[in-house]
Amino acid sequence: MPLNEAGAREGWVELQVPQQQGDHAVGLARRIALEPFHKRSWAELGFFLASSGLTGAAVLAIGALGIAGLALTVVSVGVVLLAGGLRAARGFGRWQRSLAWRLLGEDIPEPDAFRPRPGFFGWLRASFGDPAAWRAAGYHVAKVPLTIFGVWFALSVWVEALLGIASPLTGADGFGRFGPFVHVASLGLAPGPAAVTRAGAFATGAVLLLVAPWTMRLVVSIDRQLMHLLLGPAASASRVRSLEASRSRTLDAATETLRRIERDLHDGTQAQLVALAMRLGQAKEMLERLPAEERGAEVSAVCRLVDEAHRGAKEAITDLRDLARGIHPPALDTGIENALATLAARSPIPTEVTVAIQKRPSPAIETICYFCAAELLSNVAQHSHASRASLTCTQHGPWLRIVVRDNGRGGATVSRTGTSSSGLAGLAERIGAVDGHLSIASPHGGPTTVTIDVPSGS
Amino acid sequence: MPDSDTITVVIAEDSAILRDGLVQLLSDRGFDVERAVSDAASLEQAVADHPPDVAVVDVRMPPTFTDEGLRAALTLRRDHPDVGILVFSQYVETRYAAELLAGGAAGIGYLLKDRVADVSDFVEALVRVASGGTALDPEVVTQLMGSSRRTDTLAALSSRERQVLALMAEGRTNSAIAANLVISEGAVEKHVANIFSKLNLPATPTDHRRVLAVLRYLEG
Repeated sequence: MPLNEAGAREGWVELQVPQQQGDHAVGLARRIALEPFHKRSWAELGFFLASSGLTGAAVLAIGALGIAGLALTVVSVGVVLLAGGLRAARGFGRWQRSLAWRLLGEDIPEPDAFRPRPGFFGWLRASFGDPAAWRAAGYHVAKVPLTIFGVWFALSVWVEALLGIASPLTGADGFGRFGPFVHVASLGLAPGPAAVTRAGAFATGAVLLLVAPWTMRLVVSIDRQLMHLLLGPAASASRVRSLEASRSRTLDAATETLRRIERDLHDGTQAQLVALAMRLGQAKEMLERLPAEERGAEVSAVCRLVDEAHRGAKEAITDLRDLARGIHPPALDTGIENALATLAARSPIPTEVTVAIQKRPSPAIETICYFCAAELLSNVAQHSHASRASLTCTQHGPWLRIVVRDNGRGGATVSRTGTSSSGLAGLAERIGAVDGHLSIASPHGGPTTVTIDVPSGS
Repeated sequence: MPDSDTITVVIAEDSAILRDGLVQLLSDRGFDVERAVSDAASLEQAVADHPPDVAVVDVRMPPTFTDEGLRAALTLRRDHPDVGILVFSQYVETRYAAELLAGGAAGIGYLLKDRVADVSDFVEALVRVASGGTALDPEVVTQLMGSSRRTDTLAALSSRERQVLALMAEGRTNSAIAANLVISEGAVEKHVANIFSKLNLPATPTDHRRVLAVLRYLEG
């Protein structure tokens, strides 16, 4: 609270420099006298008025949606209305935060973003599971008694003060009717000559004007606490967020390391192997050019050895290439789109590829998408008996959705033990590491559709 | 085998060991290696200074080690269409092949790096590209064939005709195709004629039709 803070600060100064006590008493008096004319006092009054109005609108809107939603829960539209009410609560919360920032300079951090998975049910589920929306609704509920209290305890004082001061001009006597200081204010209404009454009213108004900023400050500071508590990110959410951030950094670092390993393999070992195989190839051909009759048994033996070494080197190159590709697919260096196109082209089942993403995902997410698509396409090739497949990768707000469809015999599940399922279970684990989601629609007889949603990352 | 005495080559390969190996190999085989450079900018400079018959270009080169070589190859194709380009890659990327071949298959090669181990085949491919032919890695051809877009166009072909077409796409001559499939050259010619008619290729000089057939095949 600013009052306490200021008081504490001045008290501290007093302790340090006792001889200036008198000066500080004067300073304090000056401050109290000038407080009604300070910008922040009026900003707080403005905030209280604006925020109360907004609260009224919010309670009406959220309440209407909530009640209508509950009444209609039997029909599914009620559920949608309830979800709409929660979305509205979040929206009002954002406006309240923006009021607090503009009028009070109070920076309430935004709660976690609303990130529904693509599709209507994704939206519905996310709406009900959105803690920030529930807390924002809670804020508006708590704000109702606070507003009533504020009108009685703080707004009334401002009104009394201003009316009192204005009374010599207006002659108004509709004054001193409510508020905590009503008995003080009513002094101005004591019977007597009009001039005296108005002078009394003016004096009372002037005194109340000195009090008004402080009562309002108390109310607003309660509101500040309430906003931090209910409109900001929850304490656990900020911990979750920092964990998510560190996990994503770890993933990115791991991806970068794998990329470097792949590059080192490519530039170092693989180049050396190719050069070696090339030299062996040269040697082999030189030996083979020797006329057969000039070759002794030893030369033939050398020939065979060189030939074996040559073949071995070529196999090693192929193995190393597959290994490097498993570590970090080099196709990803030029973007997920090219990588997926290459992947589909390598698939033995004709596969149509559609990629529509606006923003390049983070390397870790790209890698996960790539390996998921690779695993799914290889499942299609091995188990589905399909003749056609399609692979799409599309952006839905902050989510990337990968869908692999095939016209095969279906029956794929994650939990089933067996070759196809272990791959899917591994996928689900991989996707879970970035809070993604995997769903499978694969009735017996097909077709199979596997849908993966992953956050697209930064 | 065509005469390789007069063929001039520029090599762009960032791995020193492989670059030196290539220079030695090609010099031994009678090529005139004009320059051997290690990045795309030097390659473009070398070709501009002295256009060779063919440039051997590694796909991944500094500074980003992604597809600099391919970008440089496309620039060369635009600025020096007479220079044959043999792109040399650690991996087969369908997109690279598609981009390279977008302007026509003449004087274009795309081989996996391993192919250099089979020295004679590699040299033969290089000569072919230098003289305006095509050399595609069998793995490139397999991938392009596997892609769904081609299947409709190629559905009319018999499996033997597809084999012949795939070998044509690699850049083989009729006699090489005959040797590979262990059939007579006459049989190959018959298959080639069938392919031309099934793909609706007009009767123009044969070499041109071969290129068209390959392109039709690659583009679907």
